[in-house]
Amino acid sequence: MFERFTKDARAVVLGAVGHSERMGAETVEEQHLLLSLLDREGSRASFALASLGLDRHKESVTEALAQARRRGGLSRADADALSGLGLDLSEIVSRIEEAHGVGALESEGKAKGRGKGWWSGFLGGHRPFTRGAKDLLTESLRIALAQHDRHIGDEHLLLALTARPGVPAEVLADHGVTYASLRRVLYGGGEAKAS
Amino acid sequence: MTEATDLAERAGDRDPRIGLRAVSALRRLLEQLEAVQVRSARNQGWSWQEIAAELGVSRQAVHKKYGRQ
Repeated sequence: MFERFTKDARAVVLGAVGHSERMGAETVEEQHLLLSLLDREGSRASFALASLGLDRHKESVTEALAQARRRGGLSRADADALSGLGLDLSEIVSRIEEAHGVGALESEGKAKGRGKGWWSGFLGGHRPFTRGAKDLLTESLRIALAQHDRHIGDEHLLLALTARPGVPAEVLADHGVTYASLRRVLYGGGEAKAS
Repeated sequence: MTEATDLAERAGDRDPRIGLRAVSALRRLLEQLEAVQVRSARNQGWSWQEIAAELGVSRQAVHKKYGRQ
């Protein structure tokens, strides 16, 4: 399906690999795709993000992603769920950091992807995509098809990020970027409830 | 063991979504914690056999999962 990707979408995927490399991660994750989307200029996704004011808050997004990594990649929704069990995630993180150093829970993303992902052929790399990142790409295809778009653009990747639960969607929502708000700026507000 | 019972009850809360999300979060946290502890043990010179014994799994299982580091 990679042949359906627009130039911008391919750039996002390749950029994500770069982010993963620079961060010393073993795999390419959804957060790397988000970071790569933030790098884009003059694309459909960057237009949508700017319309929602995110172009002025990129650092805040980057910071929120870093905090989530420190929590072992768990989202706030995860933390809430754990607190329902009487477990205080921030307490656990601080105990682990006391014993093993700050950032001990970071970058433990161990071999969640398989050795050679289907993207590695195109990308020519050995850096596997996590299951979540692969699912995201599949989701972007589904969204493009539902929209009767022939190509998968970076806006579909962005929509897919907001459509799936997890840290990226949560961080984006905290900055006013949701599936609904994106659809509104990308496709017009007709069908969504006008406010 | 009342704490564990309480935990089990809450994990099976009325709304399955809440319980399932908690389980999923716990599983991911567990993976992270295991990786931290295994790495720490290796740094302190523990053998795979010793680590496996503490975790209650086979030596091969631990080595396969973490051995390439």
